[in-house]
Amino acid sequence: MDSGLRTQCVPQYRLLTGSQIREIHRTSLEVLETIGVRVAHEEGARLLEGAGCRAKEGDVFQIPNWLVEEAIGSAPSRITIYSQEGEEAMRLGGRNIHFGLGTDLVTAYDLNTGEMRDSELRDVSNAARVADYCEDIDFVASMALPHDVPTNMMYVECVKAQLENSTKPVFFTAAGREDLSVILELAAAVSGGEKALAERPFLIHYSEPTAPLRHSRGALSKLFLCAERGIPICYTPGDMLGASTPITLAGGVVQANAEALSGIVLHQLKSKGAPIITGFALGPLDMKTGIFAYGAPEFRLTNSAFADLYHYYDLPIWSTVGTDAHALDEQAAMEHAIATLMAALDGSNLIHDAGYLGQGLLSNPATIVMSDEIISFVKRLLRGFEMDRERLAVDAIRRVGPGGDFLSDDHTYEHFRREQWQPKLLNRDDPDTWLSKGGKRYEEVLTDKTLEILATHEPRPLPRSVQDRLDEIVHRAEAELADLHFEA
Amino acid sequence: MSDVLARMAEAVIEGHVEVMEELTQEALDEGLTAKEILDQGLMPGMDHVGVEFKAGNMFVPEVLRSAKAMKESMKIVQPLLTSADIESKGRILIGTVKGDLHDIGKNLVGMMCEGAGFDVKDLGTDVDSDVFLGEIKSWEPHLIGMSALLTTTMRAMGDTVKALEEAGLRDRVKVMVGGAPVTQRFADEIGADGYAANAAAAADLARALIGRA
Ligand code: B12
Repeated sequence: MDSGLRTQCVPQYRLLTGSQIREIHRTSLEVLETIGVRVAHEEGARLLEGAGCRAKEGDVFQIPNWLVEEAIGSAPSRITIYSQEGEEAMRLGGRNIHFGLGTDLVTAYDLNTGEMRDSELRDVSNAARVADYCEDIDFVASMALPHDVPTNMMYVECVKAQLENSTKPVFFTAAGREDLSVILELAAAVSGGEKALAERPFLIHYSEPTAPLRHSRGALSKLFLCAERGIPICYTPGDMLGASTPITLAGGVVQANAEALSGIVLHQLKSKGAPIITGFALGPLDMKTGIFAYGAPEFRLTNSAFADLYHYYDLPIWSTVGTDAHALDEQAAMEHAIATLMAALDGSNLIHDAGYLGQGLLSNPATIVMSDEIISFVKRLLRGFEMDRERLAVDAIRRVGPGGDFLSDDHTYEHFRREQWQPKLLNRDDPDTWLSKGGKRYEEVLTDKTLEILATHEPRPLPRSVQDRLDEIVHRAEAELADLHFEA
Repeated sequence: MSDVLARMAEAVIEGHVEVMEELTQEALDEGLTAKEILDQGLMPGMDHVGVEFKAGNMFVPEVLRSAKAMKESMKIVQPLLTSADIESKGRILIGTVKGDLHDIGKNLVGMMCEGAGFDVKDLGTDVDSDVFLGEIKSWEPHLIGMSALLTTTMRAMGDTVKALEEAGLRDRVKVMVGGAPVTQRFADEIGADGYAANAAAAADLARALIGRA
């Protein structure tokens, strides 16, 4: 190499300037200090009182600025998540991006029959298996909420199905502290004990405060259980512009951030240094239809805003992609592509809901395969290109000179694999070849590929002893949880 | 129709909250009764709003502003209604069921029903079936609307229907249910009288179940 110059040309995007970030931060602090949050949990209230928060009308607590700053300081800036087999899988922090599935979709599109039906446990297994196969999907989640298991066992069965069908990290919901404990038992059985699980956590729990400005008993009891056990938790508000927050994006961001920050305060008061991932899902309530619009541009903007905020806090960031389309169609592709690109540019760390359809209500495993391809595409974009003397390629240009071509030049041979991204499934056939292969639309290609994965991809089997232990835990839990009413 | 009633309907449609008091006074001065103002001024306005919203020509905040305009007039008109008029007004009790905290959809349903002229009482979220029952006894609604967004909490709606049967109250009140995971089939299974997929459909359903507000 005959030049010291070597740079990487990469797309860079920030929405907020430093002073805008500080303005939002200050305003969120103002909301916490002067308005406060409702905390419907005795221990939560005690922790806040003990830390010097003022209680206003019973269970509303005003949180002083310094306490928030302290919690931001004590929460870890990097969380390492392992695979179920104990290998490092995701480093959540900085601008590292990791994409994965989402949880709990009520309806499933059945690839075999082409029908929409209630979700079943096999939809969870299938999603996990497909995601296990997909290289660019870094973590699994239930996708479907199974109607064919006892209601109180839904979340437990979901996690078990994911353990059986994938080795990737698991992102999961739970109805309450009780089934969450059972799920942690399942996970410990796979890790080889509670201690091993806390040392090399492969799962992330997902719980949420309730907008506007409330922490429910149920959500906090799950937050505290994870804090106690050192299990990483995503504690992230799901807010709707114009319904549960102000309609203005700036106001929504301020309020959602106040909710998220107060969650960090509660979590860190319970267990300083315990792993927490923050962010918020803040999208519009569509004023024409009244739905929560996953695919909206405003959702992408609020994602960018909190990504900038949490980079400033230096805390791991959660984010969301998705679509409002009720079928794997052009709208789904468009909204997923834009959301995926934006989330990657944001530098969010744990980006969930890849493969989601229908406003967070519908699953179709072929959508996971589409997301996998979009993510791969987007990662290529983010890699940008390298620039040095070799890549500026004056020698090659001189060799070929005016006229001629580069096809057989050594420079092309040396570099084409790294420079050129190859699609997994997107069509690049010439028109005749495309027609001779059946002239399939992308949706058909995705569906065929998904059916092939389901027919051929075998996830690693769990060791017999572990499988037996999982069966035993689930069997026991069925009786334990049978008549329980989970706390809201 | 008298000109002032037409102007009231128009003001409701346009959401002109600030002119409602004056228009209402004008209508009363002309000798119109409270019932006439309600039935021939306010409600035709709100009906139009309902149609326009369903057609996608009006937005939620505009519908709610129209409802606010109607309420502004109702502040004056309500005390003048005869007890028979008030008694004839449909009462709807709504709430999100035990274990569930999702409230935006339920709130929207409540607001739309209010806009349709019903008297609506909202019990909030995480509502026990005992609380529903108690309110049914004391407030005597014609219809209850239960909301659930979680599969784990949906069955609480069935529990309430059962509790109503056991208390011998089932034929005194109609039951409608809704929320993202709820379906017509589920409503049938638990013995509810109706299901609606969104707030505008919920107001229509309420009309169909208990008649005109
Ligand atoms: C916002 C939201 C939240 C917010 C709610 C804040 C609030 N103040 O309400 C928060 C963040 C708190 C939340 C929490 C949880 N949520 Co949530 N949430 C949503 C989300 C994204 C939107 C819901 C919403 O408000 N939509 C807008 C309103 C206007 O629509 P709607 O509620 O459907 O209401 C309309 C109709 O359904 C109908 N309707 C509603 N009620 C009634 C009643 C009657 C009588 C009638 C006739 C009609 C009717 O009319 C309404 C107006 O058009 C949905 C996804 C979705 N697309 O539904 C998930 C969703 C409902 N949540 C879900 C889950 C799993 C949870 C949590 C368990 C997550 C967790 N990790 O802990 C917790 C549970 C908390 C609890 N105990 O309740 C799942 C539910 C799956 C299931 N069936 O069990 C969903 C479907 C998302 C998903 N796929 O994961 N959530």
